[in-house]
Amino acid sequence: MKIPISWLSEFIELKVSPEEVAEILTMGGVEVENIERPYENLGELIAVKILEVYKPEDLKDLAVCKVTDGKETFTVLTTAKEQVKPNLIVGFAKPESLTFGFEKVEIKSVKNYKSYGMFLSSYEAGISEEKEKLLILPENSSPGESIYKILGISEIVLDLAITPNRGDLLSIFGVARELHTLTSWELKPLNFEKSLSLGEKFPGKIEILDPDGCFRYAGRFFGKIKVKESPFYIQKRLWLCGLRPINNIVDITNYVLLELGQPLHAFDWRKIEGKTILVRSAYPKERLLMLDGIEREFTEEDLVIADAKKAMVLAGIMGGEETGVSETTEDIFLESAWFNPKRIRKSSQRHKITTESSYRFERNIDPEGVIWGLLRASELILKIAEAQTYSEVIDVYPKPFSSPKINLPTQKIVKYLGFSVPSEEVEKILNKVGETKKTDHGFQVVPFSYRQDLKIPEDLIEEIARIYGYERIPSTFPESILYCKGPSKKLEFERKLRDILKSLGFSKVITYSFIDPKSLEKLNLRKEDRRLNFIELANPLTSIQSVMRTSLIPGLIETACFNFFREINSLKIFEIGKVFFPTNNLLADEPLYLGILLMGNANKENWYENLRKFDIYDLKGYLESLFKTLRINIDFKPYSSEPFLKKGASFDLYLNGEKIGFAGEIKSLILKEFDLKTCVFVGEINLEILFEKFERIEKELTIKRPPKYPSTFRDVTCIIKKEIKIGEILDFVKTLSIPYLEKVKCIKIYEGPPIPEGEKSITIRFWYRAEDRTLKDEEVNDIQDAVAKSIFNKFSAKPR
Amino acid sequence: MISDEIEKLKKEIWSSFEKIEDLSQLESFRIKYLGKKGKITSFLKLLKDLPLEEKKLLGKELNELKDELEERLREKEREILFKEEDKDLGLDLTLPGRSLSIGTLHPLTQIIDELCQIFSRLGFEVVTGPEIETEYYNFTALNIPDWHPARDMQATFYLKNGALLRTHTSPMQIRAMLERKPPLRIVAPGKVYRCDADIRHSPMFHQIEGLMVDRNVSFSDLKGVLIYFAKEVFGEKTKVRFRPSYFPFTEPSLEMDIECVICKGRGCRVCGSAGWLEILGAGMVHPEVFKAVNYDTEIWQGFAFGLGIERIAMIKYGIDDIRMFFENHLLFLQSFK
Ligand SMILES: [Zn+2]
Repeated sequence: MKIPISWLSEFIELKVSPEEVAEILTMGGVEVENIERPYENLGELIAVKILEVYKPEDLKDLAVCKVTDGKETFTVLTTAKEQVKPNLIVGFAKPESLTFGFEKVEIKSVKNYKSYGMFLSSYEAGISEEKEKLLILPENSSPGESIYKILGISEIVLDLAITPNRGDLLSIFGVARELHTLTSWELKPLNFEKSLSLGEKFPGKIEILDPDGCFRYAGRFFGKIKVKESPFYIQKRLWLCGLRPINNIVDITNYVLLELGQPLHAFDWRKIEGKTILVRSAYPKERLLMLDGIEREFTEEDLVIADAKKAMVLAGIMGGEETGVSETTEDIFLESAWFNPKRIRKSSQRHKITTESSYRFERNIDPEGVIWGLLRASELILKIAEAQTYSEVIDVYPKPFSSPKINLPTQKIVKYLGFSVPSEEVEKILNKVGETKKTDHGFQVVPFSYRQDLKIPEDLIEEIARIYGYERIPSTFPESILYCKGPSKKLEFERKLRDILKSLGFSKVITYSFIDPKSLEKLNLRKEDRRLNFIELANPLTSIQSVMRTSLIPGLIETACFNFFREINSLKIFEIGKVFFPTNNLLADEPLYLGILLMGNANKENWYENLRKFDIYDLKGYLESLFKTLRINIDFKPYSSEPFLKKGASFDLYLNGEKIGFAGEIKSLILKEFDLKTCVFVGEINLEILFEKFERIEKELTIKRPPKYPSTFRDVTCIIKKEIKIGEILDFVKTLSIPYLEKVKCIKIYEGPPIPEGEKSITIRFWYRAEDRTLKDEEVNDIQDAVAKSIFNKFSAKPR
Repeated sequence: MISDEIEKLKKEIWSSFEKIEDLSQLESFRIKYLGKKGKITSFLKLLKDLPLEEKKLLGKELNELKDELEERLREKEREILFKEEDKDLGLDLTLPGRSLSIGTLHPLTQIIDELCQIFSRLGFEVVTGPEIETEYYNFTALNIPDWHPARDMQATFYLKNGALLRTHTSPMQIRAMLERKPPLRIVAPGKVYRCDADIRHSPMFHQIEGLMVDRNVSFSDLKGVLIYFAKEVFGEKTKVRFRPSYFPFTEPSLEMDIECVICKGRGCRVCGSAGWLEILGAGMVHPEVFKAVNYDTEIWQGFAFGLGIERIAMIKYGIDDIRMFFENHLLFLQSFK
């Protein structure tokens, strides 16, 4: 809401500077977002000096002027041929500036002549109504200076952010009244001529058929008006508030709306069939061509103002084109009403129209303001539109409004605020918001009709705190019992997880929860894949953020791309976040997932090692470290079933026979679609399942004393067929139930000469340890010989 | 006289001992004097022909000399070995080390952690909840019926089944109160969503919600807790101010501003000449909200607050484009180590 200080001053004497007024309002809960200077906002509207004038033969109606702004000299074309002459200092708008008439100034050319801006009339400069006359500035003005500075014209406008509960502040008068509440500066009374409440008999009929939609409907007839341009002061005030002048009648309705907050609507009386005005719900499928040029179809929930035959206005929102006021209108009917805010809001949303009028009705207007608004507009119509006749005021008001009685015990104020505002202060404040009576235990308040936001004692407590000043209420610390619960086990688990990954060198990323459905397509998922059954947004901002993610992988790949194209050639990232699956009810299944990604180089260029790319053993190694730190046994089953992973470099991850995720290298073909010319490894794990396991392990955890007696190891080195997997040998070793065996590990693999083609040499190390003594060499040798023999036999191994 | 000979030997030994500089000299010295055919050994052999008294005396002297010499040689050897290790200066110590890089947590994660820790110190329990919500939890139970213009304050993403992406963390107030009995203190961090995208707005961002319900917890207490919070996050000298505001689910409502950390209140591009930065919204829990969870408003009252994590991070680190948080540029992430 824009509040010109000059207009505000008509209602209240401002005793401080506009900046201080802004501060008072802001600290009173009426936030001033901006202090604007509309003339300055127009751009460079400056004085220029005319140096030369010539009137070329080939430009009939134009003169070319050579002018200077004190720095540069340039040409300007003008139609004001007769008025321009050398040495004159005139108002001028530079290209890119705006005129009062909302025109954007541009460089123009006619034939070979160019105009680097335009001369201004007083009207175009927003100074007076003179449209034809050039704005001529005093002789002593210096070229280049702002015309407003030269003429000493300035306007300051406060731009307020009004909270939705305070519809009463959506007017100049409302803000003045609020300033009065906050400061006790005197409010100037509203004076409307009394005679205006009289008038001739109303020549038609008004009826409210839908009393749920319309609480009060008032109106008046005006005869033989003149529709023309509004006087300059009205135009200027509308302009200061950001509205465009249209004609005097429309401008008056807007003027009163801005001034008093009461929306009005003017009808062309001749177009009202049967001289009947009905406030009713729309018929199903009833249609109306509206002022914005769009024909809309209504439902029974919409409220319309209709005549005997047709809907004329979507009530409180926008009028129809046919019955609106035009240049040829002679008689008008002026409506001032109070509609049900809920109904207006629903219609406004249904039809996606918000107007100055619907905005105010939604936030509720003052029921008493209906008549004021009508009287104020009447005064203006008589004066400005020169109405010859006018009717009495018709006021259909079936159930007059009465404010609730709110009882406010003093005790409650103290308990709520934790502070006792002095009783006289409380009474003074409450008197500013309603009729206040002292009671045995406190106060009874009947809020003023414009303060319908005050309904319960707590609302009054806010008024007390607000008007007394939030800053003046002390700050204390709550008293409470000491008991409190620490973070949940799951949060702790999540923290542990990310700390491990961080120490492994991974950076945590956060990507959007909504993704492009195409990014899932790119993963080449099978039709029946659960991840393609995603939840769609009904109103996405863009198609690339239109479905809720069912996997973290697309977001991670996007992040890899973003970095790859910014010369990051090595990336280790992870994300912990929810993925979303539909369920049978409204809420989704939102399991927490972990995604990790490796891209590009495993190390940096160094003097001590060769540069190498990440490979599957990096990914596996990181995941093993993670699971080991969590003390959870995960099976890495080779060959993931995920279609986007290279089969030969991938795993499905199992926990006690249940699949909890996957890990592997992304297929090059998929990377190509992202233009990623490097290698990418990803893994994804369902943390819900992992967490359950972790919680159980944590509970059962006991710490063993480190071994007392030394261990000893033996190696088996042999040559076996290349296809034999180390895992097979280790699995076989497990079946042997070897006594004292602590650990087995493959420590060396070698292929190449002198080992024959198709074979490899491997070394497997066995560690032995007894808990209660040092093992004897012979004893270990005996065990190891048997083990070696079994391995040699089982895998047809040859000694090296 | 043999004793003179011995005196001479002593002198010789100590003066040549001083000249030992490396291990080979030390070894030849040892052989020369202490070896099987060494000088001291030879002297000892000579003693056997001397009278008993003299043999005893000189023998003792020679053995003491031998012991001392051996001791001194051990010391000398250690000294040389120590120096020996300092001799090789062949390594190029200007080369960088074999470093490992540690990862980083996302700046928003770090801020969330910090805020949760601050409120944990005050006994607030950290809770989380669903990101896909119903109209009821996100609006209706929070005293925002569907006809209410306050719904315009939050542009909502709807899902095709009629559910929505929560527009604030406030539904957690309702969920937490339904799951618990008063008194209670919770904070709920998490992702929230609004149909809005520019350099100041992201369609997905993070908030943290706080709620305290108790018998006497008051507006003054709310102020106290918020001031504590602001000083913990922005420093002990942070100035704050409280402005009346409006949220349908609190009454009275307030917004807290801190003095602009960039211009210290003089006015700048970031705070838009006001000198203050809006940090959070808060208020006393509206009775309608208590009604929705069946808490007796005769006994219980409380306060709630909510704030944007990105905003705190942007102010703390001087970031002017919210989208940077979700681009995840590695260099950006690593600057928050
Ligand atoms: Zn600043």
